Amino acid sequence: MNRMRRGTLERREAIFGWKLIAPTVIIISMLILYPVVYNIYISFFKISLNPEVPNQFVGLLNYVKLLTDSQFWRSFGVTIAFTLLTVAGSLVLGVGVALLMNRKFFGRGIVRALILLPYVTPLISIVFAWRFIFLPVNGPLVQFLASIHLMNPGTDIINNPNNAFLVVSVFNIWRNFPFVYLMVLATLQSIPDSLYESAEIDGANRWKQFTSITLPELYFILASIALLRGIWNFYKFDEVYLLSKFAGTLPIYIYNMAFTGIPRQGVAASAATILFVIMIASITLYVKKVLKW
Amino acid sequence: MVRKKSPLRTVGFYTLIITLVIGVAYPFFWMAAISLRYSSDALSPGLIHPITFDQYAVLLGLKQSIRQQLSGEQKALLSLIQTLPKDQQKAVLQKIKKEQKSSFPFLTYFRNSLTLAGIAALISLIIAVFGAYSFSRIKYPGRGTIQRGVLVVYLFGGTVLMVPLYQIFTKVGMLSNPNLSMLALLLIYIVQTLPVSLYMLGNYFRTIPYSIEEAAIIDGCTRTQAILKIIIPLSLPAIITVYIYAFMIAWNEYLFASIFIRPFPSDYTLPVGLYELFNSYHAIWAKMMAASVITAVPIIVIFMTMEKYLTSGFTVGAVKE
Repeated sequence: MNRMRRGTLERREAIFGWKLIAPTVIIISMLILYPVVYNIYISFFKISLNPEVPNQFVGLLNYVKLLTDSQFWRSFGVTIAFTLLTVAGSLVLGVGVALLMNRKFFGRGIVRALILLPYVTPLISIVFAWRFIFLPVNGPLVQFLASIHLMNPGTDIINNPNNAFLVVSVFNIWRNFPFVYLMVLATLQSIPDSLYESAEIDGANRWKQFTSITLPELYFILASIALLRGIWNFYKFDEVYLLSKFAGTLPIYIYNMAFTGIPRQGVAASAATILFVIMIASITLYVKKVLKW
Repeated sequence: MVRKKSPLRTVGFYTLIITLVIGVAYPFFWMAAISLRYSSDALSPGLIHPITFDQYAVLLGLKQSIRQQLSGEQKALLSLIQTLPKDQQKAVLQKIKKEQKSSFPFLTYFRNSLTLAGIAALISLIIAVFGAYSFSRIKYPGRGTIQRGVLVVYLFGGTVLMVPLYQIFTKVGMLSNPNLSMLALLLIYIVQTLPVSLYMLGNYFRTIPYSIEEAAIIDGCTRTQAILKIIIPLSLPAIITVYIYAFMIAWNEYLFASIFIRPFPSDYTLPVGLYELFNSYHAIWAKMMAASVITAVPIIVIFMTMEKYLTSGFTVGAVKE
């Protein structure tokens, strides 16, 4: 009797739990999981622009078109370079700033709040500010760099396909290092002082302490941040596109393919599928080899 | 830990801090400085220029811009058409209206963004409170799978979803009508903010001792009452934090907004509207900067006042972008 009642109680609990989670499950299945599967499906079709005309099955033709497009391969290379550069850059800068901020000094509160601004300010505002300082001839940063002979004031480095990728990478590092800094700072503050004290007694210098205590303690958090930032930057569209249309990464390639000129959404879908498969494969590999789960 | 402080080291340290501050503040400084100039001064070199709040006044609708003021020619036309037949009057009036419309509809964009982000964040929060409660408090078969499934959403960026979502919403006919397009966008913002909200709230709920709820349930509270009367009041800081995050994600979103509402200028959100304006007029840097400041200020103010909660939220939730 008692067991039976417990059985029904558990059942009622389970039903209640399912009811609470049902909206989440429904909305995520409809707007994330289904579209991902649907994307693979439509990558085998020529999408008609007229809703009256049905899509036409073309087999692997979209993939063939894509893989023989030199623009695709170029974008692919740029995306890999962009991801590696921005992940490495934001990690190095984030760790450096966290080490700097991990001690008390006059005005730390203000500096701390200030550092987060690049990360929290709405993207569109920041993009216009960056475009302004990089204006050819009139941009303040361009004038400054020209005055110390680092660049020619007449060059438009944002709208030049050869440089755009670099400016966009620097921008991405600048915008996202606060995220790394916050996570690293929280971890740094949890490393016990006694570790450093005993290392000092053993005669280890600052650098030695950094490489044999700080870095190993940070390993897991750094590896996790690198994974997250890697995923986000690999897919990054807005931060890149709004600053410069000419940066030439894959998400921009897909966007242009699908929504500008004569839309070729089937080809765009196959590009997204390839991107997605590569992503899943590298995440699996990374989680096994680097995070050792 | 006692460390010798050599003066050289102190100087080096402060040099680094100052470099950091300049590096971070530089674009913000220029944004603010240019927004306070007259349009004609925006591109002139040097720091010192006459200061004006004109740009802000025009954007906020407190003052008419030159474009909005009727030009002499338009005024002459208005007095002339009194003598014209009805249908010709109409045509001229429409022409004048059209010319005036090409001004800066900043407030419309601002209102659209505010509505969309506000509602999306609210709905996402409500769904997430119950979902997170279910994750953190109730045991049932399939819970682990769903929990991992929500995390997997981190792997699907907008890049993978833009084509299929566009196709799906076109198929159901939502993208041919301005209001339905807004609704589609709202749904997308809800699903984009949902994983973060669920994850952060779930983590927070786990820190609330179960015994508090248990006592209430013994006293005759139902589970739903327990959520409404105990869990929600106790986790108010986390709930506010989650709301602000969700709001910020929706406030920033460009990709889907640019795809879904491109044909309907009256529905533009700030990112889409400002970007379109930026590409259509060139000599309005002072105004673009003032618009950027107004777009940023609400977020920065919220952030500064809630910095403590929000920064801990970052480290706990690893906010999705």
